[in-house]
Amino acid sequence: MLRTALVISGRIVRQRVRDRTALIFAILTPLGLALAFSVLIPNDFSSFHTRFVVVDQDAGPLARVFVDDVLGGVVAAGVADVDTLGTENAATEAVRAGQASAAIIIPAGFSAAIQTGAATELRILGGEYAISLEVARSVASRFANDVGAVQLMVATAFMTGGTTDPGTIQRAQAAMADPSPISIVTQATERLQANLATFYGAAMAIMFVFFATQYGALAILADRQAGTLPRLLAAPIAPGSIVMGASLAGLVLGLISMTVLVVATTVLQGASWGPPVLVALLIVAAVIAAMGISMVVSSLARTAQQAGGLNAIVAFSMAAIGGVFVPLSQAPETMVGLAQITPHAWFLRGIDTLSGGSPGIADIAPSLAVLLGMGIVTGAIGLARARRTLVPR
Amino acid sequence: MVATQPSAAATVAAPILTCNGLRKRFGGRQAVDGVGFEIAQGETYGLLGPNGAGKTTTISIVCGILARDEGTVTVAGQPLDVGSTKAKGAIGYVPQDLAIYPDLTARENLNFFGRLYGMGGRDLARRVDEILAVVDLADRAKERTEHFSGGMKRRLNIGIGLLHTPQLLVLDEPTVGVDPQSRNAILSSVEALSAEGMGILYTTHYMEEAERLCDRVGIIDEGRIIAEGTRRELVALVGGLDKVALSATGNLHDAAEAVRAVEGVEDVTQHEDGIDVLVAEARWRLAAIMEAVSRDGVSIRTVEVVEPDLEAVFLHLTGKALRE
Repeated sequence: MLRTALVISGRIVRQRVRDRTALIFAILTPLGLALAFSVLIPNDFSSFHTRFVVVDQDAGPLARVFVDDVLGGVVAAGVADVDTLGTENAATEAVRAGQASAAIIIPAGFSAAIQTGAATELRILGGEYAISLEVARSVASRFANDVGAVQLMVATAFMTGGTTDPGTIQRAQAAMADPSPISIVTQATERLQANLATFYGAAMAIMFVFFATQYGALAILADRQAGTLPRLLAAPIAPGSIVMGASLAGLVLGLISMTVLVVATTVLQGASWGPPVLVALLIVAAVIAAMGISMVVSSLARTAQQAGGLNAIVAFSMAAIGGVFVPLSQAPETMVGLAQITPHAWFLRGIDTLSGGSPGIADIAPSLAVLLGMGIVTGAIGLARARRTLVPR
Repeated sequence: MVATQPSAAATVAAPILTCNGLRKRFGGRQAVDGVGFEIAQGETYGLLGPNGAGKTTTISIVCGILARDEGTVTVAGQPLDVGSTKAKGAIGYVPQDLAIYPDLTARENLNFFGRLYGMGGRDLARRVDEILAVVDLADRAKERTEHFSGGMKRRLNIGIGLLHTPQLLVLDEPTVGVDPQSRNAILSSVEALSAEGMGILYTTHYMEEAERLCDRVGIIDEGRIIAEGTRRELVALVGGLDKVALSATGNLHDAAEAVRAVEGVEDVTQHEDGIDVLVAEARWRLAAIMEAVSRDGVSIRTVEVVEPDLEAVFLHLTGKALRE
């Protein structure tokens, strides 16, 4: 059965490689778009809007000033929404889940440290997008600088005002010695920022892989329309091998499409995808998910043309929901939740994880599990439905 | 069904195909209703019937393409069903529609289908060369078939069916839409294959093809084989009736009714270009027939008196023409 499936998939792949439209849709278009997006879209957006979470472990007066006035000003300016969470773990999870682009942690003792001239810090947990992280860092830095300037001014006044209180003199000296007592510590969560070349390469790859895998899914419909299906069914082969061959062809075409994009964006744009083995695993999982969905969608159609149209609608809709066009950190919460049903969101999340730091397979396990789960479930439904199409009409 | 004596080929050689009680229903329509026949090695068996009679459905069941509701099929001693790979390997199937990949070359098409039949390596390469020569496409082997003429595509379509040297070749109306030259070449090929000892199941609605090629013919109508036998046996069923083919214009309906009243006339079929009359002793009745036709102002263009043929048999058995 496997041998026959390989013969059939070899024939389909050969046909599609010769087919210029397949080359255009599966490789040239996504590659071109990835190049264009990464070159043309700058690192700032005129209508920028993001979402932060803040954890106030201090609850002191200066922490309240930071939250209410400084971050409140950011909210008032329409730059960001800011939600207050109770714990650092909750904030980290929100960033990991893409519900916030950055978390600002105000440690306990923050207000007291500033009031005594001791060093303290504001910690920023970075999320998926560098721009959002930079905004959070800038806001915190501005506050730190302002506090430092005020302290210095007060200290100077005390020193030149002839105070004799030893405690006051000590705090003034400390303030003068460290004009910026608040350190801004930026930390990365597990979701790291992929550079634009990688992001758009990955985004286009996952969107257009559906156009590659659909050629496998459409093969049975195409055989039926071309009149070759009865001849295949008359051959001494298991009918299931026809479906298996078509599925294999879709997988191979999907892998070719994504591999070409990974290599091309790496070579041409310096995209940083991450450890090759893990990237390969993620790509295989994404292609399996795309193949399964293509099989189900194609099984709903009566002709190859109909199936091609349906696949395109599904591919673009899922891409829009899944954060290919609009980063999820800038999307409404309902959309962030909805995105989790798409392979696009999970693939992009996996690539984000792989493209920075030193990730291991455990880091992308959620993405792999979800993508493979989607592929297995939809693939099983698609295969079962595809077998029903193995009847000449 | 009208029974006739089995042919010499059927009685001497072991059957390569045996079908019994085949039934297939599509929704409310009984497409095949109790069809059964045998084909011996080296015998060419024709299924003759009009479009929609059940020929293609029968063939689809015989080739294991379509699951039957009832009945049995045995090919080369092996029971055949949709999933039986062994029995299917003994059949070469040539579908009515072209079943080739236009974006593959002739050689690639043959290689692909050859591999599906378990062929490979040098054996496949040698056999592909042989088939390309047989279907006269050796010099076009590397061309994509989308650039082929209709006749070339038809020849390749048949060549694929012959690739694995089947014991039974099933041809489903292989000459539909084919130019006369290619048609003649196809018929000659079938004759040659039969002479080599291949069992052949040939469906057609062209009476002359069935008469030329087939050792035995099963006349199929509305999903049932209504008569079966050699040409001679089937023609005998008409009982010595001649066919008078009148090409005429005018009120053919009234003319047909008038002819029906003529003594000795057994059956009358009206069609677009005239009237066909089945009549005993045509030469004695011809004047009366022409007078009956002319009475209503019908203008007769040509008159042809023909000996009984399979078309006449079909007309006699069903009351309608093969091409209806």
